[in-house]
Amino acid sequence: MMSTLRGFIQKEFKQALRDPRMRMLLFVAPIIQMTLFGVAISNDVKNIRLWAQPDSKDSVLEHIYQRSVESKWFLPARIDRNVDPYELLRSGKIDAALVPPPGGLTRALGRGKADLQLLVNATNVIQAQSVEGYIRSITSQVVRDDLKQVPPVIPIRLDTRVLYNPTLETSYFMVPGVMSMLICLVTIVLTSMSISREKEMGTFEMLISAPVTAFEVIMGKTIPYVVLGMSNVPLILGVAVFVFGVPMRGYLWVLLVASFVFVCTTVAIGTLISTIAGSQQQATLGSFLFLFPAILLSGLMFPLENMPEPMKWVSFLDPLSHFLALVRNIMLKGGEPEFVIRHVGILALMAVVSVLVSFSRFRTHV
Amino acid sequence: MSFLWSRAGAIAQKEVYHVLRDPFTLTLAIGLPVFMVFVFGYAIEFNVKDIHLAIHDGDQTRTSRQVVEAFGSSGYFIVDPVSSPNQAMRHIAGDQDRAALLIPGGFQKDLFSGRSTTAQVLLDGSDNSTVGPILSYVSTIQNIASVKLGDYTPPSSEIVLKTRFLFNPELNSRWFVIPGLVVVVMAILSVLLTALTVAREWENGSMELLLSTPVEPLEIIVGKIAPYAVLGMAAVAFVYVIARTVFGIPFEGSLWVFGLGCVLFLAAYLAQGLLISVATRKQQLAMQIGIMSGLLPAQLLSGFIFPVESMPAFFRYFTMILPARWFMTIARQSFLKGTTLTEMGAAFSALSILCLILVRTASKRFKKDLEP
Repeated sequence: MMSTLRGFIQKEFKQALRDPRMRMLLFVAPIIQMTLFGVAISNDVKNIRLWAQPDSKDSVLEHIYQRSVESKWFLPARIDRNVDPYELLRSGKIDAALVPPPGGLTRALGRGKADLQLLVNATNVIQAQSVEGYIRSITSQVVRDDLKQVPPVIPIRLDTRVLYNPTLETSYFMVPGVMSMLICLVTIVLTSMSISREKEMGTFEMLISAPVTAFEVIMGKTIPYVVLGMSNVPLILGVAVFVFGVPMRGYLWVLLVASFVFVCTTVAIGTLISTIAGSQQQATLGSFLFLFPAILLSGLMFPLENMPEPMKWVSFLDPLSHFLALVRNIMLKGGEPEFVIRHVGILALMAVVSVLVSFSRFRTHV
Repeated sequence: MSFLWSRAGAIAQKEVYHVLRDPFTLTLAIGLPVFMVFVFGYAIEFNVKDIHLAIHDGDQTRTSRQVVEAFGSSGYFIVDPVSSPNQAMRHIAGDQDRAALLIPGGFQKDLFSGRSTTAQVLLDGSDNSTVGPILSYVSTIQNIASVKLGDYTPPSSEIVLKTRFLFNPELNSRWFVIPGLVVVVMAILSVLLTALTVAREWENGSMELLLSTPVEPLEIIVGKIAPYAVLGMAAVAFVYVIARTVFGIPFEGSLWVFGLGCVLFLAAYLAQGLLISVATRKQQLAMQIGIMSGLLPAQLLSGFIFPVESMPAFFRYFTMILPARWFMTIARQSFLKGTTLTEMGAAFSALSILCLILVRTASKRFKKDLEP
C-alpha cells in the first residue's frame, strides 16, 4: 500500500512541477507578491491634496496651511485663484479645502472666536475622518503658538502606551495578513484544480478502476500539496522578517506547526471543493466562492470587531481568520499558549471535518 | 475569408450552452456577485466600536469608578474587569481584550491634593487599524473626565473647526465600498472566466479542431468572449441596481459616462484574460496568472480599500498601468460626486490607452499563434 501511495505522490509532484512556468509561480511569485503588497498597501492616510485660497494678509490661515503641507499627511494644491472649492473637490482636483470666514481668519480671531470651515471629500470614510483629526490638531497647535496660549494642566491624565508596535509600523500589521492570504490562495486553488483536472481529462475514471483505495487516492492527491504549501512558508516568512523587519517574537516551531495545520486545512477544503466540482472551471469558481469571503472576513482588510454578530459567526468559520490571528499573535506578541492552542485546535477540527466530508462524498460518488 | 457575424454567433451560442448546461458555473457566476454585494453591504464597518477594554481599578474610589464609568458609557468600549494589571496584560496577549485601563492606588488622593493624577491606558498595537480611532476616543474621554471630576476648563480653542463631509455626509462605509465593488466583480468575471474558457479549449485539444473548420480565428475569439462580456455587463447592472435600491447609494454622475467606463474596462480585462489564455494554454496556469495579474491588483492596488495616495511613490506610478485603478476612480466619482467626462479626462484617456494596448497585444499574439 505504501508503495502505491509513494508512486502516486511522485506522479503528482512531477505533474505540478513539470512546467517551468508553474515552478516560477509556485516559488518565485509568492516572494514577489509578498514584497509588492507588503510595500504597497497600508491603511495610512497620506498625501491628501489640501487647498486654501492664498492670502498673505491672513497669517493664521497661512500658518495652518504651512504646517499642514509640511506634515507628511498633506500635499499642497494651490491651483487657481477665486475658484469655488466645492467645484475643485467635485472634479477630483483636490481632496480637502480650508475655507476661512469672510475677511480672513486672522481678522475674525481678533474679534473673538472664528469659524474655520473644512471641506473634505468623504468618499473614503476612513480618510475623511483622519483628515479632520489632523487638521483639528494642527489648528490647535497654531492657535497655541500664534496667540501664545498656555494650555492649562489637565487634572486627569490618561497615559497611553501602544504595546507590541509602539511606532505603529503598518508593515507589522499588513505583512502577516498578506502572508496568510498568499498561503491560503496557493493551496486552495492548486488542490481544487488538481482533482478536477483528472475528472475533466477522464483520467479519474482510470484511477478508480485501478487497484487503489479511496484513502490512497485522497492521500496521494493531498500530501504533495501540503508539502508544496509548506515549502512556501519559509520563503514568505523570510521576506516578512528580513525585508520588512516584522519581529518574530514567538517560537519559530510554534509558527511552523500552526502553518502546517493551516495548510492541511486549506488543502482539505480544496479537496472538498474538487469532489463537488466537475471541471476545472467549476473548481475555480468554487475556490473563489470560498476565498472571497474568507479573505474579506479574515480581518485583513476590515477590523472584525465592528462586524455585526451574524458576520462574526461566519468569520469564526473562516480558517483564514484563525490563521491570521495566530500569525499576528505568534509574531508580534510571542504566542500566548492558551490562544495558540485554541486556534490551532479549531483549525485542526476544520481540517478533520472537511477530510471526512470529502471522504464520504468520494465513497458515495465513486 | 472575411469575418462573418453568423459564424461568431454560432460560437457564442455554443459557449452560452456550455454555461447554461452547467448549472454550477451559472450559479457561481451569478451567485458570486450577489454574495459579495451582500457580504460587503452588511459586514463592512470601518467605524471602530465595541472595543474590549480590560479594566483594573486599583484605587476603588468614587473618582476611579467615575473614570471607569466614563469609558463604559462612551459607547465605544465593552468593559471587562480584571483582577490585576498582569491579568490585563495576559488578556491583551491572548487577544481577549484590545486595550486596558489601569488605575493605580492613590488615584483619587493625587487628584484631591491638587496634583494631576495619572491612569495608564495600554493599547494592542498588533492591530494597527484600530489604534488610531482608540487613541482619539481615549483623549476625548480624558477631557470629559477632567471637566467632570477635576476643576478643568479646556483651552477655549479660538478657532472652531466646522467640517463638512462632502459626497458622503453621514460617513457611511457602504457608500465607499459598494461602488468599488463594481470593479472587483467585473475583474473576477472577465479575466478569470475568459482566461479559463479559452485555455480549456486548448487543453482539451478542441481548439485545433475549431481552427481546422472554416471559422476564422477572430470569429472564434469574438464568439468565445461575447457571452462573458454580456455576463460582466449584467453583473455591473446588478450591482448598480442593488446599490441604488437596497443600499440607497446615490448616483450623481451620468449613466452614459459610467457605461463608457464599464465598456472600456471590460474590453481591457477581457483582452488581458485572452492574452493570458493564449500565452499559457493551460487552465491551472491561466488561473494563477489571472489571479496575480488581474484579481489581486484589482483588489489591493486599485484603491478599492487601501488608498493609492498612501502608497510609496513607486507604486503611485506603477498603479497607473492598472486599468482597475482608473476604473475605480471613474466608478466612485460617478456614483458619489457626479464628476463629468471632461473632468475625468485623465482617467478616461489612461483607461482607453491601456485598453487599446491590451486589445492590440492580445489580437496580435492570437494571430501569430493561430494563423497559418
